[in-house]
Amino acid sequence: MDKSILLRNNVNVKGKGTTSLIFAPGLGCDQNVWNAVAKTFEEDFKVVLFDYVGSGNSNISAYDEERYSSLKGYSQDVLDICASLNIRDAIFVGHSVGSTIGMLASMEHPEYFSNLIMVGPSPCYMNVPPNYFGGFEREEILGLIDLMEKNYIGWANVFASTAMGNEERPELSKELEDRFCSTDPIIALQFAKATFFADTRGDLHKVTVPSLILQCAEDIIAPSAVGEYLHQHLPSSTYKQMKATGHCPHMSYPNETAQLIREYLNESIEDTVQIGDLR
Amino acid sequence: MENLLNHAPCGFLTLSEDGTILAINQTLLTVLEYDTDVLIGKNINHILTVPARIFYQLYFIPLIKADKPVEEMYISLQTANGEDIPVLINAIQRKNSLVIDCVLVQMHKRNEYENELLIAKKKAETALSEKRQANKELEVALHKLEMKQKELIELNKENQKFKLETQMELHLAKNIQETSLTKPIFTEGLQIEAFYQASSELSGDMYGFYHINPNQYGIIILDVMGHGISSALITMSLQSLFQRLILNGFRADIIFKELDNHLYRLFQENDETWHYCTAIYLFIDTDQRTIEYINAGHPPGLWQNSTGEQLELTSTSPPIGSFPGLTFKRRSLTYNKGGRILLYTDGVVDPYDSHLLTSLLENNQGITLTELKQKLVQLMKDEENGYHNNDDQCFILIDLKGVEEQNFCVK
Repeated sequence: MDKSILLRNNVNVKGKGTTSLIFAPGLGCDQNVWNAVAKTFEEDFKVVLFDYVGSGNSNISAYDEERYSSLKGYSQDVLDICASLNIRDAIFVGHSVGSTIGMLASMEHPEYFSNLIMVGPSPCYMNVPPNYFGGFEREEILGLIDLMEKNYIGWANVFASTAMGNEERPELSKELEDRFCSTDPIIALQFAKATFFADTRGDLHKVTVPSLILQCAEDIIAPSAVGEYLHQHLPSSTYKQMKATGHCPHMSYPNETAQLIREYLNESIEDTVQIGDLR
Repeated sequence: MENLLNHAPCGFLTLSEDGTILAINQTLLTVLEYDTDVLIGKNINHILTVPARIFYQLYFIPLIKADKPVEEMYISLQTANGEDIPVLINAIQRKNSLVIDCVLVQMHKRNEYENELLIAKKKAETALSEKRQANKELEVALHKLEMKQKELIELNKENQKFKLETQMELHLAKNIQETSLTKPIFTEGLQIEAFYQASSELSGDMYGFYHINPNQYGIIILDVMGHGISSALITMSLQSLFQRLILNGFRADIIFKELDNHLYRLFQENDETWHYCTAIYLFIDTDQRTIEYINAGHPPGLWQNSTGEQLELTSTSPPIGSFPGLTFKRRSLTYNKGGRILLYTDGVVDPYDSHLLTSLLENNQGITLTELKQKLVQLMKDEENGYHNNDDQCFILIDLKGVEEQNFCVK
């Protein structure tokens, strides 16, 4: 077990089970977004929560602008964590871009994962005319980046001081707790760019690990057409339409989200048994 | 109170848990240019720009769901007419009913100010990154420079080694060249002294004097065009040839024709290496008291009889190897009383200063040949101060002993 990686990515392992269930956040907030869903699995699984380097309570000083300028760097975080915890055949649950990051990780080391559960995923957020409509024009993404830049103004000072190595100072501990949805300006912007300008459509056919796509209703970030596109191009994928609306069902509708994950896992375990019976 | 809120100087909005607009005050409606009944029941996305819709999902909802207040969040609203309205929004979820109350304040002016700040910040960041880049490039350049310097030092060392080796080689070659020079002659009939000095290690000048028969002598001085290694190589090839020809007693014109043929053969295939050569050859018979000579383009030899009268042994043909098909004519003169001869190459004095040599001979009739040689060497040294001599230097002095009557004439 590599403790430095676990500290770097603020890895938290809970639960009584043996099968690992890794929950990966998307862009914006830290591992706490999964609290409500993850809790329900602690009885049966080994629940693994973590933050990408640069977000939540990760070690910001480990941040490398080059590494984290593409989703590969974030997927390497996942692989590092799997290696440190000696994980095999884990179930990976990712929200939004977190699911793409898990998918990229599974292409590097399929043996780490038994299933991918993708909550509100999109292989490409931008429209690529004439045949693909991810939902956004380039100017709209640039508008988002502009919004993010202006929302950092109030936060910059906090992170300037923590980034300078004042973490051990007690008066800053409250601010550390408040890191939930805030990140260093440069880091969050880079994550946003890596996310919204990514196009992983060309990689989909290479994915070997079976997956579940949880598609929300009225999700403006990952619309149904995008979820369906993903389902068509991702081998061994299961598509499930949720009643939940918006882009954050794990927070807004944790019961339904947990329920669907559990149902899929039960089904896939039954599948495995059946295949075993055929031999 | 209700009315106060409706017209308060800020926007007020109540959302359901899933973002549906439940209530909106008049102030905000006016800003958005909508009527109340149009917006009630619509999703908040309806009044957000596309970037704000994404931002709302990424940050607003998680904060509310995590039971945290939204404070001073900057988003942009979209009016019924598609206009962007920058606002700051504060929001909180009510504990009992889970509806979300929002207060919105327009921030046109502050937005412009922040835009300015952002532009300035970006400029500063760009400048900083440019500076870092420039520093990086400088470091790379410095590193390269250091490597080059190391290379240069290595090269210099090699060069130094090469130079030393070359100098040793050249020194050895100089020794070989000087070894091939003939020794002074001192007989009953004549005395010969010579001087030889290369401008660099190797010389393009050469001389030789040979005792052919008891009473016959062959004396030659030549100057291959240029100086240094290439000239020296040609000089040495000519030397081995003329030594054989002279010692075999060949006639002057045959010797010159052979030397001419030799140069012609050397360079007929390659014009680039073409060299010519000036030379004087004297064939002296001390019994007959005759001097037979050929001057091929060489500075004139000087004859001075015992009474001090002088005669120039001027050029009788163009230089050896200068034109194809040259013929060489001999001239001869006789002497009864003794006399002196000076043969020299053009490095000895400035061609315009040849009168210095005639006066040197004229003014020093009484002294021995060895003393005269010293005086000429001294003259050359004095001359070097004014005339920047970068040529090989070589001369021969001959004393001929005669009978009582002096008598010379050119046939």
